[in-house]
Amino acid sequence: MPSLREIQRGFSAATLFGDSAAVAGMAIVAGNLDPQARIAIYRDNILGNYRKVLAATYPVVRRLVGGPFFDAATDQFVRGHPSRHGDVNRYGGDYAVFLASYPPARELNYLADVARLEWAIDQANIAADAAPLDLAALAAVAPEALVELRFNLHPAARLIASPFPILRIWQVNQPDYEGDAGVDLGEGADTLLVTRGDQGIVIDRLGKSEHAFLSMLAANATLGAAASRASDAETAFDLADALRRHVANQTVVAFRAPPARTRRGNR
Amino acid sequence: MPTTPELPATVGIGLRSPHVARVRAERPALGWLEVHSENYFVDGGPALAALDAIRADHAISLHGVGMSLGSADPLDASHLARLKRLVARVEPAVVSEHLCWSHADGRHLNDLLPLPFTEDALAVVCERVDQVQTVLGRTILVENISAYLRFADDAMAEWEFVAAVAVRTGCKLLFDVNNVYVNAVNHGFDPLDFVAAIPGDAVAEIHLAGFDASGPCLIDNHGSRVAPPVWDLYRATIERFGPKPTLIEWDTDLPELEVLLDEAALARRILEARDAVAA
Repeated sequence: MPSLREIQRGFSAATLFGDSAAVAGMAIVAGNLDPQARIAIYRDNILGNYRKVLAATYPVVRRLVGGPFFDAATDQFVRGHPSRHGDVNRYGGDYAVFLASYPPARELNYLADVARLEWAIDQANIAADAAPLDLAALAAVAPEALVELRFNLHPAARLIASPFPILRIWQVNQPDYEGDAGVDLGEGADTLLVTRGDQGIVIDRLGKSEHAFLSMLAANATLGAAASRASDAETAFDLADALRRHVANQTVVAFRAPPARTRRGNR
Repeated sequence: MPTTPELPATVGIGLRSPHVARVRAERPALGWLEVHSENYFVDGGPALAALDAIRADHAISLHGVGMSLGSADPLDASHLARLKRLVARVEPAVVSEHLCWSHADGRHLNDLLPLPFTEDALAVVCERVDQVQTVLGRTILVENISAYLRFADDAMAEWEFVAAVAVRTGCKLLFDVNNVYVNAVNHGFDPLDFVAAIPGDAVAEIHLAGFDASGPCLIDNHGSRVAPPVWDLYRATIERFGPKPTLIEWDTDLPELEVLLDEAALARRILEARDAVAA
């Protein structure tokens, strides 16, 4: 008599990997339907569920490759990247990594970056809420101490860079898009900011300097170091203007002073 | 366990995201609403904000699909911690999970999978139910599932297994009438035997849903109206247990809200008829 663990291992192997030898070890009652057919019902339910879940997270990827291609890719993904959580909403974060090395998708070199954008949108929707930055506290910081501050981006904010025009690809593949759906892959690179506004997800195209600036802040660099990197990217970078706009749109929501060197904090 | 909170003995519906905006705006006359716990295992954002608003108007049932009470693997402590955090935020009337397993060796299948009805499996489930109830500090409800296979080594009938979990752990039961019917057809037993074996006092909620009869066995897909024989079984269930909080569940091919409200009205009529008899 197989143990509970043996049954569950066998079930997993039989449904996900089509291991028909495992079915025999589970001692399934046949009745009017043989055990392989019974396991097939579960296999179809399980894989079908993942296809639905990933189609909801990656609608543009699905539209780009078509349903049958997407389903086949998803089944392959499920076998190589098993779900690790009872909450299936958390599943699929490494779909872009998978697609980047999925041989049938080799010619769609932009596909993985589109998947990264869709995952960023998915995650931005469920990230923590945050209060706006405390402007009075910021105004109280001595001007010479400003460059030493570090800033927090909103938990929903995501930065994405791609050598492909992924925003245009994403936009023309929205269900309500009307107009010319052609995309010139030669139109170039995208540096994007995904945020969550009051009306939903917002995707902005950033200049190179602003993308460098926010990426540095997200990586816990000081304002001075972030500004310096941004100026390296584009000499016309205007620090005061960039900071003001990203505080106003709540991409930047908090700041921290270095504890030992100043007593003017953000509390 | 502390005193068990209760749902009103009226009819609720399973609230799915396409209906959230209308339920928030129109506040339909429903006794309560049920949501899937995992859909709110999030740190923030609009879905959680909507649930905060809805719970101001309706009693809430948190219905989990991912705890995997029957896995040989240990319980996932982080999953349980997320549920605990959500329970603290929502203050639901009831919290429920399924009598099933979903993961093996840390690999999740994210489905409600059937257990062998053995003493071993019963011991595992009871230990997990105890753990969940201890961590949450409250009694939970556990639900009987639909199954498309059963195991040759079963030592007891499904209804004996379900009743034993309630008796041994003190948990309550979420009695899914559609699942009983589906299993009765799929495995060839009289559904009334199942109803007769369940301690009525332990039943704290009932589920009703539609099944898919297009394949070689009935599939519990929550994708249609409640079938006539399931309504009959529901009447018999209410006859035996008395009026119980009853839920209309719909997940596949979700229709307009009106269809769910219409199904809820049918269930309410049956509950009220039973009340009238009792009075």
